[in-house]
Amino acid sequence: MSLPRVLALGFLAMAACAEPQTPAKVAESVPRPAPLPAPPPDPLGPKPEAHLPAPYAPPVPDVFVTKGGLTVWLVERHALPYVAMTVSIPTGSSSDPKGKAGLAFETADMLDEGAGGRGSIELSRAVDALGASLVTAATVDASTASLSVLKKNLVPAFTLLSDVVARPRFDPAEWKRAHELELNDLVERAADPEEVERLVTRAVLFGLDHPYAHPVDGTTTSAKSIVLEDVRKFYLSAWRPDRAILVVVGDATKAEVTALVDQNLGAWKSPTAAPPAPVAPEAFRGPWPRLVLVDRPEAPQSVISLARPGLAASDPREPVLARANLALGGLFTSRLNQDLREQRGYTYGAGSRVAHTRGVGSFVSYASVFTEKTADAVQALVADVAEYAKTGPTNEETDKTRLQTRGDLVEKFEAYDRAAEHLAIEAALGLPADHERTAALAADEATKEALSKLASDCMDPSRAVVIVVGPAAKIEGPLRALGYGEIEIRDTDGSVVKGKRAL
Amino acid sequence: MTVILHEDHALPVVAVNLAYKVGSRFEGPRRTGFAHLFEHLMFMGTRRAPTKAFDEWMEGAGGWNNADTSEDHTEFFDVGPPTSLPLLLWLEADRLSDLGPMMTEEKLDAQREVVRNERRQTSENQPYGKVELMLPELLFPEGHPYHHPVIGSHEDLEAATVSDVKAFFAEWYDPANASLVVAGDFDPKEATATIGRYFGQISSHGAPVDPWDAARAPAGTTLREVVRKTITDRVELPKVIMAWQSPKHFASGDAELDLLASVLTSGKASRLYKSLVYDKKLAQSVEAEQGSGDIASRFVVGVIARPGVALDKLEAAIDAELASIRSKPVTDEELVRAKNGVSTGFVARLQSVKARASLLNAYELDVGDPGFAQKDLDRYTGATRAGLQAVAAKVLDPNARVVLRVVPDSHKGAL
Repeated sequence: MSLPRVLALGFLAMAACAEPQTPAKVAESVPRPAPLPAPPPDPLGPKPEAHLPAPYAPPVPDVFVTKGGLTVWLVERHALPYVAMTVSIPTGSSSDPKGKAGLAFETADMLDEGAGGRGSIELSRAVDALGASLVTAATVDASTASLSVLKKNLVPAFTLLSDVVARPRFDPAEWKRAHELELNDLVERAADPEEVERLVTRAVLFGLDHPYAHPVDGTTTSAKSIVLEDVRKFYLSAWRPDRAILVVVGDATKAEVTALVDQNLGAWKSPTAAPPAPVAPEAFRGPWPRLVLVDRPEAPQSVISLARPGLAASDPREPVLARANLALGGLFTSRLNQDLREQRGYTYGAGSRVAHTRGVGSFVSYASVFTEKTADAVQALVADVAEYAKTGPTNEETDKTRLQTRGDLVEKFEAYDRAAEHLAIEAALGLPADHERTAALAADEATKEALSKLASDCMDPSRAVVIVVGPAAKIEGPLRALGYGEIEIRDTDGSVVKGKRAL
Repeated sequence: MTVILHEDHALPVVAVNLAYKVGSRFEGPRRTGFAHLFEHLMFMGTRRAPTKAFDEWMEGAGGWNNADTSEDHTEFFDVGPPTSLPLLLWLEADRLSDLGPMMTEEKLDAQREVVRNERRQTSENQPYGKVELMLPELLFPEGHPYHHPVIGSHEDLEAATVSDVKAFFAEWYDPANASLVVAGDFDPKEATATIGRYFGQISSHGAPVDPWDAARAPAGTTLREVVRKTITDRVELPKVIMAWQSPKHFASGDAELDLLASVLTSGKASRLYKSLVYDKKLAQSVEAEQGSGDIASRFVVGVIARPGVALDKLEAAIDAELASIRSKPVTDEELVRAKNGVSTGFVARLQSVKARASLLNAYELDVGDPGFAQKDLDRYTGATRAGLQAVAAKVLDPNARVVLRVVPDSHKGAL
């Protein structure tokens, strides 16, 4: 119903713009009682042309290896007296042993629960006393420890970061407490519909036992089986200087960083055993299409997603896919947002994302939609993705995505802390230090045909799964009518509850 | 209209921030949520830039935008390559020129649905999201401009009319009620000329009158007792929220309360974390914030319980820590930690051009001085232990506060 309205408005207005000198048309479209013989000149003047911006080349970090064998990526920035640092290793939740999902995450979590000469509370107090912030984290592919601080406190802060990555204590009393908090977090997670959608989408897309299938923070069952000895072993095998990269962005020089590393991490040695090989899983293949439902009784909205495999980060086509994705679901004016939000009024926002992972990751379209419109929204979302996969971008979208990719790149490297974390993940994925520059060039040079090819190869929803987190009692009937066969029911941990897909 | 320019050629990016002195506290009776709904309507098109063109032209030129409505202000910002600046300014000037008269029922209906979905997504379907819907009316009395949430009620959003929109635009969207910042990679001379050309032609009725009469504002809190309420939500763990009315932004005590929030909940050594999470193992997480506003502020403490912990016991443990912070000064070490965290935050927030533009405009609107950052920081560095204690004793009154409990609804664990 709303589709013709907006088209009509756009058409009328464009006609007026194209022919501003035609008095009859202006008189018609402006509701004034006494038409003037000629319209007065517009005081604002015509819309200014935006010329093409100069090309932007992202910074390439200065790469060097310290005496102790630690590789450093440095991007010097001296505009602010501020330094952001991230240490990454190429081991994340995809290396969790069977039945111990959540181990990489809990290992990262334990790094700052006491390290070097300080217990958990003393360490936190020391970080705060320097006005620093310290965060440890894990992704599917990597684990990280990040610290940002004012330049004047860099030296003592670096000691704390070094303690955390090289000298964690793994104290049993701290473990008991931190582990208990983690188990409770997993209980709490079940109440967040967007988190549940993300973890169920992964579980369904990759299937049982795939390294990317389980949540990074584990399931309520798997996390319970993790013991401190697992964490110690995982740390010793994965956190080692020959596998780590230190990324520094901000107000620090090579000489300063070298001295800090030599002094604080000189004693950090790698074990003689070979390091674990980075996991780069293959894509899971089907069965699809199918629809999976997670019940969330009486929820006012349903979280919906459409997921299929994407590309590995090292695939030369990945930056081109990321650019193609902008027109579908990466911008306010993207097709999904315009249709589901502006045209149909189903949602506050719809979009799509391409995972940036070492193995073949995911391509996911998503929205949180008004419960009563759940099935309609799934249908619209799938149709929009199918249409884009079939036709690829328009000429306008081709031009727009080129400029938008450039803009994203500038902002990616603007904030020191964001840049450091981004580069540390690139390093952990095994990408070279100049990858962002190569990728930017590939994305920039992609033609409309190349973008269309990627849309066709990587976005077709007939090879995808649909996930819905919403109130089953209200939405199961309309969802059934979409023709996906028998609906599979999963719980908030991603496990199958009942039901099998009809063959 | 006030114009603020901040030139910086470090990166090829430019930001425009246009802020209006209007927010949810300016809304009329039975029109809660209107200021924010209006913010959405600002993107719905004019004679020169019809519906959808604002975003299409801006994103087509490599830029992007967003907007934000608070109780006190509405800010619109645009970010783009340097070559897009004339277009960004033209689009902002265009909608300030004639958006209101071009409003239609269709435009209003479209954004009404978007905003109602925003309410569902960010409050109703989020764990503990109903707190923000509930807290304003519990904390501020009927008739107080902060008595309702910025997002408003479904009923009032439904009731808004096209003539409301036109009247709101005419009253508040006036150059004399706006402040414009351009920051980043641009030539100030050229930008000044462009701004003059585009915005100079817009007629003004003069600055509108703020409906809030500061002279009649109550001196302290209007709460006279403990206001208790329990709500249910789709959550797994219960939560206790305690809230007080507190000194307004930049008033005496405001910076001290920011520092107190840090002493209470920043880091594992903070009072509430150490006591409730680390030692006694009663709480899963703790948070505290001084939410500063133009006419009043609120100091809010939130604690999520561990499974099986009785909320009475949890509240007693929170109260014991608050009593201690009222009766004894914090230590030197605690104060230094809190101040250093603030100092780093002042630098960290200068990292992006967009954030710098927003900051300059926030200071302009709040204190009439875009360069207020150093003076703002001085409020924190000058704070004392005795000052913190005095403010805690005065504001965190155990007998004049809101205590809101969120407990799991009957669907807990249902599948």
